[in-house]
Amino acid sequence: MSATDRKVNVLLDILISLRSFLKGMWVTATNLVAREKVTLQYPYEKPQVSPRYRGLFYLPFNEKEQRLNCTGCTLCEQACPTKVISMTKLGAGKHGGVSEFNMDLGRCMFCNLCIEACPFDAIYMGSAYELASYDRDASVFRIEDLAQGGKRSVEINIKTISEALAEEEKAKAAKAKAAAEAKSAADAKAASAAEERQAAEKPAASEPAPSASPESPA
Amino acid sequence: MTLTTTEITSPGMTLNMGPQHPSTHGVLRLVVELDGEIIQSCRPVIGYLHRGLEKMMEARPYRHNVPFTDRLDYLASLNSNLAIAQAIERIGNVTVPERGQYLRVLLCEINRLASHLVFLGTFATDLGATTVFLYSFRERERILDLLEAMTGARLTYNWIRAGGVPTDLPEGFGERLTAFLDEFQFALDEYDRLLTGNRIFRARCEGIGVISREMAVAYGASGPVARGSGIAYDIRKVAPYDVYDRMEFDVPVYTEGDCMARYRVRVEEMRQSARIIRQCLREMPEGETMAKLPKIFKPPPGEAYSRTESPRGELSCYLSSDGSMNPTRVHFRAPSFFHLGLLPAMLPGVKVADVIAILGSLDTVLGEVDR
Amino acid sequence: MSMQRLHPRSASQAREILIGVVIAALILAALSATPLLPWHLLDPIRAYFYERPLLNNLAKAVLLVSFMAVQCLFLIWMERKFAGWLQARLGPMHVGWKGVLQTFADAIKLLLKEDIIPALADKPMFRLAPYLVFVPAMLTLMVLPFSPNLVGFDYHLGALFALSISTTGALGILAAGWGANNKYSVLGGMRAVAQLLSYEIPMILIVLCVVTLKNTMSLTQIVERQAGLWNIVAHPLLMIPGALIFFSCALAEVYRAPFDLPEAESELVSGFHTEYSGMRFAIFYIAEFANNVFTAGFAAILFFGGWHGPVLPPIAWFTLKTLLLIFLMMWVRWTLPRLRIDQMMSFCWKLLVPASLILFCLTALSVVW
Ligand code: SF4
Ligand code: SF4
Repeated sequence: MSATDRKVNVLLDILISLRSFLKGMWVTATNLVAREKVTLQYPYEKPQVSPRYRGLFYLPFNEKEQRLNCTGCTLCEQACPTKVISMTKLGAGKHGGVSEFNMDLGRCMFCNLCIEACPFDAIYMGSAYELASYDRDASVFRIEDLAQGGKRSVEINIKTISEALAEEEKAKAAKAKAAAEAKSAADAKAASAAEERQAAEKPAASEPAPSASPESPA
Repeated sequence: MTLTTTEITSPGMTLNMGPQHPSTHGVLRLVVELDGEIIQSCRPVIGYLHRGLEKMMEARPYRHNVPFTDRLDYLASLNSNLAIAQAIERIGNVTVPERGQYLRVLLCEINRLASHLVFLGTFATDLGATTVFLYSFRERERILDLLEAMTGARLTYNWIRAGGVPTDLPEGFGERLTAFLDEFQFALDEYDRLLTGNRIFRARCEGIGVISREMAVAYGASGPVARGSGIAYDIRKVAPYDVYDRMEFDVPVYTEGDCMARYRVRVEEMRQSARIIRQCLREMPEGETMAKLPKIFKPPPGEAYSRTESPRGELSCYLSSDGSMNPTRVHFRAPSFFHLGLLPAMLPGVKVADVIAILGSLDTVLGEVDR
Repeated sequence: MSMQRLHPRSASQAREILIGVVIAALILAALSATPLLPWHLLDPIRAYFYERPLLNNLAKAVLLVSFMAVQCLFLIWMERKFAGWLQARLGPMHVGWKGVLQTFADAIKLLLKEDIIPALADKPMFRLAPYLVFVPAMLTLMVLPFSPNLVGFDYHLGALFALSISTTGALGILAAGWGANNKYSVLGGMRAVAQLLSYEIPMILIVLCVVTLKNTMSLTQIVERQAGLWNIVAHPLLMIPGALIFFSCALAEVYRAPFDLPEAESELVSGFHTEYSGMRFAIFYIAEFANNVFTAGFAAILFFGGWHGPVLPPIAWFTLKTLLLIFLMMWVRWTLPRLRIDQMMSFCWKLLVPASLILFCLTALSVVW
């Protein structure tokens, strides 16, 4: 390359550089003047989260049955990779529920697995997202914090469930009693039958029958 | 008069770049020996972000492992989800429904856009053009909004599972996505005008941090780093998974091997990703999105290895099973790890300022390196 | 076109711009009315000060420094706002109307901050350095003629004085870098000195061009001799390249992108003031902006006719030109990436120095003819 060529090249380079700078500056200028400013003034303006947003959990309150949907089946507990959920069951079976439901959100990944695991639509993720706290204990959310309707609905839930359980218990007890009565009636019948037999067999043998009623102190 | 030349040397200086240095992209520590401003040697120190994720996964059932992969490559967590999901499917012989496969490709490509936008922004900031950072994050924010509409989360999505995708697209997602892509073309043009042609940007990138073809092969580089060095190697083409074999897209390859080539590969990839997304939206069939996995998932004993193309390169996952609920071994082949290995070979002889450019152009994510 | 398609500005934000324009127009109108004010009422005070030169100078100095400090605080806000808008952000919004008082709040916060000196620092040097930077930055402003009669010190070698004083700031920066005993600081300090000294040369040569053209070294005289035509219009062939070179040098002198290497935060954390906090940091910051004002004002004097202009009073014109140049600097800063140290050096020595030498020769020839 000859010296003049080089000089021309240098000049060209300068011009090309200037042009590239001006191009870039045009872009920034259009942004300065003609574009929307996208900042959200956060604590004053809150972002609109999508309906599927995975924020703070909630346990929906079932108005019809006056209780939380959760039956205490622990499926969510098992589905959680980081053991966030722990609960105290209240009864079991058809009318079972929970009296305590703790989530240590300090460990939670908001991964949605627990929600997918729940077969009773009893746990969901809401749209609350300001969960930071100054204190580690505050990251443990208890059933009052999670239940829809707060403490009141937890109380109603416990009441409904314990009533249902009590009812169930009563029904069970009644059933048991009925069964026992039926049984004792049957026994009585058997006993009378035996007596009759005994009476019939009295002349043959005077010892009591070996198949006595269970109440008898055999 | 005699003229003697003496070499001027100065005692070396050891400089610790990181782990709290503003541009080590996470917690990487580079111990560099300096002579003036010239690097004599470099030793990357990793492990500041080690959480024992692979070991944690071994102690948990397969299904529980997917959310942990979000924490590997946190800029493209859907792509990491995909790696383990595929491995689990392979080991348990699960077939993903077709719509699920399309959705996966769609989500992965959207995530690739988001990840490359972060690269663009941070790379430009490393070189001093802070404005591009904010522009690219402005665009990324809209992608995150879309992903939030789909998955409910903004960073750790956990929405590609073994068996498919748990939910279908939300109402109006396709239109929003297409509208975004239409504008995104212009945004890409703008980045081009701000950076690609810029004389200073070129001076900082061209011929800097050259990785030769041989070196890229020898060090196991993959993804945009390999493609910047003239290796046309893209898992989506060489070993297509999901429905990538039906997609029409080009694999951009540049032969220079310098920072500029890697930058261009990524910018071009964004255009290609947009193409793939449009195809997905157009061709997606109706149907199920997720295959049913048994409640207690116990794959037969054996091993599985999945290969996926994450925004950073070849992200693979190895699983082995002994027939129980938990995997006996989980291992990830993280592309960033291999790219960091290139640093000691590349850095000697360059200036301090170039370290940042080179590191930025490798686009490493430390969550993936340290696991 | 893309401009309309991407994120068009919303109506409320357009209204804000309108409000800004209206306010600026009002300020300018108020300024243009200043000659009508009853200035003669101040005559007794002026007379009092004229009789006591020492007191007069002291008062001037105090006024100048406090004016500059406030102006710098204001400028910092403007820069942040400008950068924010340019980057699709809002910039400071919290303290005062649209965040006008943000930097004042910051300054108060910095004043109240704990004064930290690293254990291994060279303490006297570390303490001294901010003032070594701050004092020259203020001293240079002394010779700038804001208007025909508003000049701190109408020195007949003003141009030389300004250039030589502004260079001594490098000493303070080196002291800061060295004294902090931090490797990043040392690198930053050394870069700063190397950069400052190299870019001083083309800058001086360009100033010499103007001096040769105008045949005086007094800044006031230089401005006065541009009364009819600004330099850049009167001698476009010489002065447009000259202004470009001067502008590049000015960017380097005030460490602005693309020449912000001494404080390149992605490489050197924040260069020579990495270890500084509290008020010392604030002093560096103010000095940086004072330098900015000085270089912009200097350029306005050399090429754009200083205080000359129609309608508005001279001081308004000068301030306006200075501000516009500062905005230009900000605009460049927030658009361009950063050069590497060796590229920057070769740009200076291989391009700017020869170019300015050639320019100087041409100027000399043109004057001789
Ligand atoms: S979201 Fe995930 S981590 Fe959190 S409680 Fe549910 S399963 Fe556990
Ligand atoms: S929330 Fe659902 S899965 Fe969890 S214990 Fe209650 S009912 Fe079972």
